[in-house]
Amino acid sequence: MSTQSGIKKQVPYLFSVLKATAFSTYKEWAAYRSQMAVTIFVGPVFFLTQMFIWRAVYATRTTLNGLTLEQMLTYYGIISVIGYLTYDSADWDLQWLIRTGSFLTFMLRPVSHCYYAFAQKIGHRLLALWVELLPIYLIFFFVFKIPLVPAEPGWALLSLTFSFVLVFLTNYCIGLSAFWLTKTEGIRRALLVLLDLCAGMLIPLTFFPTGMQKVLFYLPFQFISYVPTRVFIGHYELAGITLSIPQVVGLQLVAILVMFALYRLLWHLGIKRFTGVGA
Amino acid sequence: MKTNLRIYLAGVKTALASRMAYRGDFLMSMLIMLLVEMAAPLITFLIYENGATFPGWNMYEALLIQGVFLLGKGIAYPFFFGIVWNTIERVREGTFDLLLIKPKSVLFMAIVTAFDSEDLGKLIGGVTLFTLSLKRLPAPGWGEWLQFFLLFAVTLMVLFGYGLIMAGLGIVWIGNFRVYDIFSSITNFGLYPTAIFSKPLQTIITLIIPIAILGSVPATVLLGRPSAGTLGAVGVGLLFLLFSLVFWQWMLKKYTSVGG
Repeated sequence: MSTQSGIKKQVPYLFSVLKATAFSTYKEWAAYRSQMAVTIFVGPVFFLTQMFIWRAVYATRTTLNGLTLEQMLTYYGIISVIGYLTYDSADWDLQWLIRTGSFLTFMLRPVSHCYYAFAQKIGHRLLALWVELLPIYLIFFFVFKIPLVPAEPGWALLSLTFSFVLVFLTNYCIGLSAFWLTKTEGIRRALLVLLDLCAGMLIPLTFFPTGMQKVLFYLPFQFISYVPTRVFIGHYELAGITLSIPQVVGLQLVAILVMFALYRLLWHLGIKRFTGVGA
Repeated sequence: MKTNLRIYLAGVKTALASRMAYRGDFLMSMLIMLLVEMAAPLITFLIYENGATFPGWNMYEALLIQGVFLLGKGIAYPFFFGIVWNTIERVREGTFDLLLIKPKSVLFMAIVTAFDSEDLGKLIGGVTLFTLSLKRLPAPGWGEWLQFFLLFAVTLMVLFGYGLIMAGLGIVWIGNFRVYDIFSSITNFGLYPTAIFSKPLQTIITLIIPIAILGSVPATVLLGRPSAGTLGAVGVGLLFLLFSLVFWQWMLKKYTSVGG
């Protein structure tokens, strides 16, 4: 009974922390909204290059790896939108706090840093929703005529939410490496490149050789953007394996649980090494 | 000239020494710089591996364009492109003033204090890709090599121009590192054969904004089939350099010395 009342008190408290942190992050970043708005130029320009590349590639064929030109461009459109929706810098922020010793102040706060950082991400992305995402979506929809409408909106929303959490947990785990390495710029970049490659951000994973696709199928990276993109399209396939949408979204949830367990493990081991002095 | 070279080398030495404080991270960053730049060649490779092509271009010809582009970046980024982050960071912190009071030109000091050792990874990547693709293509003659080196010199001048414009923007657009994103998005067109773009876009990237000169124009000379508008691209490149120098000076006058 007392545990239940404890949880009842804890939930509104955590929600108020989330609301306050997200709101202050939103306000803080709103001061730099012109930086964020650069995306409105950069996003479509990158997409324009993709459009020309793939138009040239499809000039002599109608399908490639089972995808038509329209499907290929839709893939890149969705990938971009997912990227803007789920982006965060939890890895950089955390390694900076650990390296400078400023992380110490978070040890004294009544809220876990991970939860605080997640709330920050929510605030940051809420701002991005209208500064980056909405204009880009409209440009893709009306200028490039890319039909960014999910096949099954409910599942697509759920998959995007899971991707949002998974990107955060992955980046946070990368940031935790600062407990061991102090300066993590190198490993951060290495893992981010690996993520871009293995999550299908650069090219659909079905373009990789079959053996590689099989490896990628068992790695968690595909759940970050390849899976949400496929859920958005309404059809999942990798390494010759076809899964139903509920099945693949279920696997995405499993990936989140695995990543959460990894975060707890890294935290448990890393926090013992923190000296609070900085380097 | 000798003094300037000595000062520049001192800057390189200092930058290397400070970066060596975290050797592991330095080596890892250098390797990653190499890998990051391999994204476009990887996409090209996978496209060709899956049986598709850029019409009229074999894989090694397409990779040669990317090799030239990366070679240019590989020289620019470590040796003079650091002026961009150096200026942006110093203006934001308010330490740009320190460059203004040195007994050398601000531009020279901004370059000297910005040697970016980890970007040497880009150079290694560029040299490797350039050499590998060239090995699989018919060997160019002396005349073609000569033309290539002249055009590649213009490529480096244009990259210097982009650096000046971005750094100049950093003086008035405080703390905005997204100029790199703008640069990458625009110059992304330079990674692919100009012929795959529409005619109006080909004109824009060759004769209005110097992008084709970063890869396609010098590479096609090596392939023995110079791009249309090569001379125009050279002219535009030189004009662009002049414009960027004027732009830098103009932005420098706008510097307010308060940090941000």
